[in-house]
Amino acid sequence: MKRVRSLNARGWGIVAWAATVVILASMIIVARAGDGKAGQSKALTGEDLYKISCNRCHAERYAREFTPAQWQTLMTHMRVRGNLPATQTKKILKYLQEESGN
Amino acid sequence: MNIHFRTLGVWAAGSLLGLAWAARATALSDEDFNAMKEQLTRQAQRIEQLEKLQAAPTNTAGVVQPIHPMPPVGLGATHNFLMVGDAEVQFRRVEGQHGAFTLADFAPIFLYRASDNVLFEAGFDIRLQNGSTSLLNGRTHDSGAQTSIGLSFAQLDYLLNDYVTIVAGDMVLPLGTYSERAAGWLNKIPNDPLPRDLLPGSGIGVQLRGTIPLDMSGQLFSYAVYGVNGPSSMDGSGAATTLDAGSNAVPNLDLGGNVGLQSDGTTGNLHGSPSGGGRLGWFIPWKAHYDLELGVSGQSGTWDDAGNRRWSAGVLDAALHLSPYFEVKGEYIETRQETDDVGTLRPRGYWIQVAYKLAGLDLDLPLINDLELVNRYDVLDDDMGTKTHRYTVGYVYYFSNTLLFEGDYNFVHSDDPAQAHNDVVFQLAYGF
Ligand code: HEC
Repeated sequence: MKRVRSLNARGWGIVAWAATVVILASMIIVARAGDGKAGQSKALTGEDLYKISCNRCHAERYAREFTPAQWQTLMTHMRVRGNLPATQTKKILKYLQEESGN
Repeated sequence: MNIHFRTLGVWAAGSLLGLAWAARATALSDEDFNAMKEQLTRQAQRIEQLEKLQAAPTNTAGVVQPIHPMPPVGLGATHNFLMVGDAEVQFRRVEGQHGAFTLADFAPIFLYRASDNVLFEAGFDIRLQNGSTSLLNGRTHDSGAQTSIGLSFAQLDYLLNDYVTIVAGDMVLPLGTYSERAAGWLNKIPNDPLPRDLLPGSGIGVQLRGTIPLDMSGQLFSYAVYGVNGPSSMDGSGAATTLDAGSNAVPNLDLGGNVGLQSDGTTGNLHGSPSGGGRLGWFIPWKAHYDLELGVSGQSGTWDDAGNRRWSAGVLDAALHLSPYFEVKGEYIETRQETDDVGTLRPRGYWIQVAYKLAGLDLDLPLINDLELVNRYDVLDDDMGTKTHRYTVGYVYYFSNTLLFEGDYNFVHSDDPAQAHNDVVFQLAYGF
């Protein structure tokens, strides 16, 4: 009896997740299709990438908070922890170092 | 007339003298000039050499032959040292108990960058808590203060190339995203989601991870695979529960205790084999602050001393941002624990958190604009008869990007009366 109940609960969990994923993925595909040119034609700049990446796991950290050398260490840390690709990390680092004002 | 001749005499003498000087000058430029030029050239060369030596101190390696390779560039690791981290002060009141302030945590993170591709990172949790004194009547009572220092992670990252990073040490595990993306100043609710108790936060071993851009729009695919010691058993057996010193039945599974170095100083896995795990993630941004991330991760290996019983976990994670103000994220966690006595247990749970920054309403009120409302629903089913649901409502007030004040009320429903207590928590958190 208990097994059946728990299987049901699990089944519902999986269904709920699958549904959420499908709905969200479709919403995004639609949004992207409507947004046609969004970054497709030109490569994203360091600033664009900073805006995309640096505010999604935590409140954004401003370039002026650290020195260029500190940013190099921090961006290495964020590349590993935050799953950022090497190319993006380099662009963002350059942007932060230029804007650091130190 | 006299005067005339005198003037002429002086003029003639002057001319002669001038000629003589000129002759002398011509004589110098021929011989000495070349000698001086040569000397100057030699001096310039010496200065150049000296400058070179000073600019690249590693060149002196030619003079003193190093036994070990020299550090790659510039200053050593200690000069690229950075201490970051966070600290929290909490006030918590559980229904039916006295409220109290606590220094929830002081959590420094040390970062040492040895070169462009080597980073060592270590994070600690330092807390103050009461000690426990045994009294004459056989009971114990909380008294005194103890400082506990926990190592949250200590890992060496080697960026092998653009797509592979090798990580070794006590690593935060990529099981879901919660542990890897947690810190007092970035969690929107002070306490962790209940089902995170089903997973180890860190593990000792090695990991390969990397991220590959999928297209020009910023889509990313990330992967991580790792091997760690894995969980172990409190009493060594594969039984679901064991008895603690007070004869209470407690879960036998020990998610964090198999650290490779045993109490007698010998090294070894507490069971036969390490556990393996990993995560695959897909990040889809469509413009700044609008993105979706999906991930699937898991870990599997044995947990009892005999190495006969398996413990596995599977996690689905998702995070969605629609504008800089709105965020939904959550995880579904399912674990399987084979036991000697009650078959396979399937403890599982999920959590979902929705947050909205009121700045999105664009009201011209400063206090409102720095406020974020947060809701979370989390469920934990231990598959041993206790199911707990918790609903949290709260807010985060941002004094700055890293100084925040959180207030939350937790409504708790549980089959276990000991856990079914609502509570209120306030926390001041600072990230540095
Ligand atoms: C996938 C999640 C994630 C992303 C994306 C991310 N960070 Fe972080 N960041 C974290 C976490 C988690 C912490 C705190 C814990 C830690 O440092 O280990 C943190 C901490 C920081 C800190 C504080 C110092 C520290 O190490 O604790 C800075 C500064 C920072 N991040 C900058 C950035 C920048 C700049 C970007 C954009 C390139 C970025 N982060 C993107 C997860 C992320």
